[in-house]
Amino acid sequence: MLDALQQHMPFLLAGLWMTVQVTLLGICFGTLFGTLVGIARALGPRPAFWILGAYIHLWRGTPFLCQIYIVYFVLPQTGIAWLQFDSFQASVVALTIYSSSYIAEIVRAAINAVPRGQVEGARSVGMTSGQTLRYVIAPQALRMVLPPLGGVYVIMVKVTAVLSVIGTTELVRQANLVIQRDPANIMPIFLVVAGLYFVFCYPMLLLTQWAERRYGGLHLEA
Amino acid sequence: MFDWLLDVYNYRVVADYASTFAFGIWRTVWISTVSLLAALVLGTGIALMRRSRRRLARWPATVYVEALRGTPLLVQIYLVYYGLPEIPLLGRRLDELEGGVLALSVHTAAYMAEIIRAGIGSVPEGQAEGARSVGMTRWQTLRYVVLPQAFANATPPIIGQTAVLIKDSSLLSIIAVFETMSAGLRLMSDRYMPNEAFLTSAACFLAIYAVMLGVSNFAQRRLGGAT
Repeated sequence: MLDALQQHMPFLLAGLWMTVQVTLLGICFGTLFGTLVGIARALGPRPAFWILGAYIHLWRGTPFLCQIYIVYFVLPQTGIAWLQFDSFQASVVALTIYSSSYIAEIVRAAINAVPRGQVEGARSVGMTSGQTLRYVIAPQALRMVLPPLGGVYVIMVKVTAVLSVIGTTELVRQANLVIQRDPANIMPIFLVVAGLYFVFCYPMLLLTQWAERRYGGLHLEA
Repeated sequence: MFDWLLDVYNYRVVADYASTFAFGIWRTVWISTVSLLAALVLGTGIALMRRSRRRLARWPATVYVEALRGTPLLVQIYLVYYGLPEIPLLGRRLDELEGGVLALSVHTAAYMAEIIRAGIGSVPEGQAEGARSVGMTRWQTLRYVVLPQAFANATPPIIGQTAVLIKDSSLLSIIAVFETMSAGLRLMSDRYMPNEAFLTSAACFLAIYAVMLGVSNFAQRRLGGAT
């Protein structure tokens, strides 16, 4: 059994590498996009608040699995050329949209948690609204954002497992392929897979818990 | 008049599949309810173990929570689905539905345990001390004083976790359990109509989500915004 596992290991590690790539790209784009949506919702005009709120609820109300199918199968139906994703692109897009809906709410809550007087004070000493955001709101909001953001990143690593359904060759997909060649060792293979995910997730989980002790939790509306 | 709509979203085909989707929603609700109850019972036990003074009780509970929170649900579902049939139980194998519900319950219990543990922690020490000093046993204190308040405080996050559980139950479609997502996948495999298949499933999940938001708002009002 150990021999067999040793033989499978390169494939599983290749899968893990793909998981890491997809996760990191999703984290980068998702954080960027989610932050923009969150800032627009906290500081933008009323209509933006409602429209982006609907956007957030739309993605929070549906399972990630369903979102993958929509990005991979429904978007290409529009016939628009740049929406014809291959499975890797679809994975990154789905992860970006999914995480942005959570990150946007975190960013909004953090901005709202900065006392109003701070903003008023900054404006009254002559700062522009851009300067207020950059020098007064952002430094304070950033600290509050870190612990819940870490939580979202851990969730993102775990949801990448679902990307196997559209054929992205990440860890679970690789495991499924390995099992087709070696059906006798299903359990050990999936235990190794679980272990690999744990090695990826657990340090992030610990870091998140540390950040929460350090900077305190942020109260989020459900 | 609605010809353009038929090209994008053929609601007539969807109407043919109305009973399929209705059965899918019913299954999703059933799976989520059973898993929720099991996860709450299991989660309460684990939360109490994590708060125990005995290391032998605390340690396995901590490992349980960290192991389940550190690995993807899909992998856990595969482990239960492929793993349990090898273990002799009841003299037969668990079918997909039983295995799926078991995996969902075990997974959600880890999150519920943390929520309930925080709920117990939010009950002031004096409550338990008072109960003990009027002569309640430790069990009575827990049953009549600590846990009712802990659950009241934990209700909003429990509802939030239930919404996650409902969405997570869609993963059972991967091991061929029939539920809301599978209803869409059946339409997809019958007719190859991605829009009708997946957007309808999404709409069903959104409807369930809207109900959960209503429940959440109601609970928040009833509990006076205690979080």
